[in-house]
Amino acid sequence: MERDMLRKLELLNQLRLTEEQKDDILAFFADREKEMETLEKFDTSATERMVHVMPITTVVREDVVSQPFAREDLQRGAPETDEGYWCVPRVVE
Amino acid sequence: MKLFATKIDTTSERTMVVDDMILTKDTPTTAGSKMLDGYVSLFEAEALTRLKNAGYALCGKANVGEFAIDLLGETSQNGKIVSGGKLINASAEIVSSGEATIAITLDVNGSVRRAAAQSGLVSIKPTYGTVSRYGTIPVACSGETVSVMAKSADTCREVLGAIAGHDDKDGTSLSEELCARVKQNESAPRKVALLKSMTVGVDGEVAEKLNAFIALLTDNGVEVCEIDDEVIATSRIAWNILMSAELCNNVSRYDGVKYGYRAQNFSNIDELYTNSRTEAFGELLKTAIIFGSETLSTENYMKVYDKALRMRRVIVEAFAKIFESFDAVLLPACSTLAYTEETVSANKYLAFEENLYTAPASVSGLPAVVAGGVQLIGKAFSDSALLELAKLLEKEGK
Repeated sequence: MERDMLRKLELLNQLRLTEEQKDDILAFFADREKEMETLEKFDTSATERMVHVMPITTVVREDVVSQPFAREDLQRGAPETDEGYWCVPRVVE
Repeated sequence: MKLFATKIDTTSERTMVVDDMILTKDTPTTAGSKMLDGYVSLFEAEALTRLKNAGYALCGKANVGEFAIDLLGETSQNGKIVSGGKLINASAEIVSSGEATIAITLDVNGSVRRAAAQSGLVSIKPTYGTVSRYGTIPVACSGETVSVMAKSADTCREVLGAIAGHDDKDGTSLSEELCARVKQNESAPRKVALLKSMTVGVDGEVAEKLNAFIALLTDNGVEVCEIDDEVIATSRIAWNILMSAELCNNVSRYDGVKYGYRAQNFSNIDELYTNSRTEAFGELLKTAIIFGSETLSTENYMKVYDKALRMRRVIVEAFAKIFESFDAVLLPACSTLAYTEETVSANKYLAFEENLYTAPASVSGLPAVVAGGVQLIGKAFSDSALLELAKLLEKEGK
């Protein structure tokens, strides 16, 4: 992991890190990269990926209206609203 | 010492505290994060509803570490809880002190099991998919489980009986038939495998707990054999990858727009997102987010994330092989029963190392019981059988 890559990940995740945090994270990554060598010892080329550990199939519910929350309830915890809309800074100049 | 994020007065004799990862109506649920400070859900967790129906009254919300990925709760926005120089977990302390009969928690990265071991409580992390996760704050959905902590194995079993069951509202909920299996009476395991490699790095107190438990098992006619399994020991590495990748996606929803924390200063939409997330998220969480997104990047997806998914199958198959000869696996829940402030200050990423002991059950979805300061993992749906073993300790008064 290079510092340039860390900068990209910061931007991608909409975070801003201090120089000290960057140093800590780079050290953390160095440890994780070493650990990958342990996993590389196992040949998994013929092993299927396991996303779900249990026999779970995609569930499709009937398309019916349920639990209709009121707009004012949904916006109760919003940082800023105006006449039923969420407010954000202007996005189109 | 702030054990409760919110305290609720009740005169009920059967009380429950739920940690701040479990949604409640009318009281805030913060996930221990400034990002959700003051957030109140419009609905409550299915497990909570079921327990209310079973006669338990909610007595409060326990503080939890930010998104429950730390050691014992020390990254909570409300600060760490220290007693006698030791870090302590809020849910465990509330149950130990008798302020609540049980605690319902979300086991994401093993903090619940470490807390139970440290406090001498019994905990059960049920078989994945048998207890609804509806109404819990999602972090690492493929392995996290609603868990129970109590003073006795019988209480854990009773609570599991109330909360286990199919739930249409949870897409990962198993069928009623499969869920019912965790409630069935089962005899205690007769042959237990001790994961020898995991006993090497533990301190004297944990080693003593393990030895005492082994002696107890042997005295009660349970055969204990040491086994070495290098595959199970890789669970931590695989889980750190999977947990961080899932966490990175799950916390991407927190942007300061629809709910949660919003920074005061910003001049455009990008600054609103970035400043809100930067100011609200803690250091451990930021590290996990960055790590998770790196594992999912084009450069690393196959090498890291895909590898972890394949290793998950290798680990599950290794457990299946062990369970051909054994009924349960014995291992520590943590390397020490006394994490000090100094230990955590010296290694801020200790939670990504201490999960050596908790990751095997998290990554495989298998049930895990902590009792007498040690941990037992069983085959899927053997939850009741594991609790039967935990009862041996109570009979012996240990």
